[in-house]
Amino acid sequence: MERRKFIKKVGLTTASTVILPYILPSGRLFAQQSSALAEHVVLVIFGGGVRQQEAVLKRYLSDSQGVPIEGNIMYNMLEGAPPSDKIVYGTTPSDPEATAGSEPIPKVLNETLQKQGALFQEVRSTSPGHYNGLVSMLQGNTITSQGLRQKPLLPTIFEYLRKHAGFKATDTWFVGHTIRNSVPLLNHSSHPEYGAKYGANFFAPGTTFGAEGRTAYANAKTYHPEEELSHIYHLTGFLDDYYTNIGSALVNLNNTEEEKIAIKSFMKNLYDTGTYPTDVISCAYHLFDEFKPKFTVVDFSAGVDGCHGNFTGYLRAMHKADNQVGQIWNKIQSTPGMANNTIMMCLPECGRNLNPNPIKDENDWFGYDHSDANTARIFNIMVGPNVQPNMVYGNETSPKGLSVDTVPTIAEAFGIKDIVMNQGFLNGNARSFFDHMG
Amino acid sequence: MNMHTSHTLIKRVAINMLLFLTLFTLNDCKKAEEDVFEVNQVQVKPPNANKQKEKTAEQYVAILYTNLFQKGISVNLLVDYTEAIMSMGDKRLAHEILVSSFMNNPAVIIPSDTYMREQTDLFLDEAYHRFYVRPITEAERTYLTNYINNNPDVKAEHLYVSFALSNEYLFY
Repeated sequence: MERRKFIKKVGLTTASTVILPYILPSGRLFAQQSSALAEHVVLVIFGGGVRQQEAVLKRYLSDSQGVPIEGNIMYNMLEGAPPSDKIVYGTTPSDPEATAGSEPIPKVLNETLQKQGALFQEVRSTSPGHYNGLVSMLQGNTITSQGLRQKPLLPTIFEYLRKHAGFKATDTWFVGHTIRNSVPLLNHSSHPEYGAKYGANFFAPGTTFGAEGRTAYANAKTYHPEEELSHIYHLTGFLDDYYTNIGSALVNLNNTEEEKIAIKSFMKNLYDTGTYPTDVISCAYHLFDEFKPKFTVVDFSAGVDGCHGNFTGYLRAMHKADNQVGQIWNKIQSTPGMANNTIMMCLPECGRNLNPNPIKDENDWFGYDHSDANTARIFNIMVGPNVQPNMVYGNETSPKGLSVDTVPTIAEAFGIKDIVMNQGFLNGNARSFFDHMG
Repeated sequence: MNMHTSHTLIKRVAINMLLFLTLFTLNDCKKAEEDVFEVNQVQVKPPNANKQKEKTAEQYVAILYTNLFQKGISVNLLVDYTEAIMSMGDKRLAHEILVSSFMNNPAVIIPSDTYMREQTDLFLDEAYHRFYVRPITEAERTYLTNYINNNPDVKAEHLYVSFALSNEYLFY
């Protein structure tokens, strides 16, 4: 009899474990509509406005300054030999006699990302501006009423993942290169059905771990979770209850208490050990090691937009960003838990003009703004599981993909593409890059 | 004599009638007054009801610093603290770390735990005035007094951190 009862209990428990669905924050019962293509996704914003001519077309100076020298300065990402003359895109050697920028950064990948993955060589950006371009990539749509100093108006991919795939706050991270240019606004939208409570954690490492962050945070006290923090949170809860009768409660990202403790401990450890990851790449490294985020946006935009008045600096920034992309891919492949199950996407938010402006730099080279049709020309490189290697899609006469396709692509990678598409907030032409591969 | 008496009588009667008529007329013109007792309409709100505007990061930092250190903040520190808050996505968490950092600063001015326990009413009055710029309500006083009395390990610092992190403190 007892044995029968036992078997019955075990049977029921097992059955309920299998049958009882996981209830998501969105109220849905099942997280994934289709199977996920990867466990992690890293979206690299190769940003700042990258001209197609110097990137995918590898024309170096020939299509911009009237100097007939071509070559590939992004040789971690793209196939092709580097320029053989007028080398100014690298770092500056210590020798004072040497030409500035004459030392190219050594290649860090054994095989280019183009070889390892898929290159969409003619993608169209739906916005010619930086902030709106970034917003478009994160919310999968471009809205003309979107302000420059305003949170994205439509839900971002962070919010879709947290609401519909059940991601925790620390599963989603945005590592921004600055606190300027509205970059800190990008971690969630102001949409009433989504918003901060589904937002991503954000660091601008140059500030968070720079002088300002060290002044503000390095001396932080560690309160004991049970003996002290419990009182603090309890009392704060009481005070908030008394105030929420009137409303106006400040929204937050809904990091759980455990997640807050983990983030504080992560930061304190870096401050205490004197490890200050003030650049985007080293901050991303530490986040990968500590949190192994399911979705991370890494913003390598620094310096590229200098092209408005410093073409030489723009070449150097692109070359450096290519190196960083190679490093980040190496880091992913050497991080237990992320290696071999991470998809990386890399694309700029917008391109740059076909014709120059009149501003000349130290080499008498003209600068380029971003407003004409050429600005819409961008690229996308994808690599990782379920991305067929060594494939090139699209060409100048037959472009494939839009910058807003990032959202359905990431959603598909995590198995919630249809759910996201059905919310009705994406651009009508947005499609997953995986669909373009078919 | 009779004639005189009769004349006097008539005169008196006439005076009395005149007086009566005058009084009657006056009384008749006077509007009847009724005492009406009413209560003025007063909308009762909690004492924090008018705080609807969110403080900017700069305002929050400047006021917090002044509250905790009892002196104004320098421009350099204000910029550093404000930018540090901007550099983190979870503002509540950023505030939490910043406040705990202030609490680790020996210059912070908070009442002692002994004072909190021996002069609880005074301690709470001062805390509410310092952080919320309003008097404490009796409901709040009762709850917090009980909490302090029932939790011997609660420190004045914990209460001050809670005030600094509370929603009401983020609004004015």
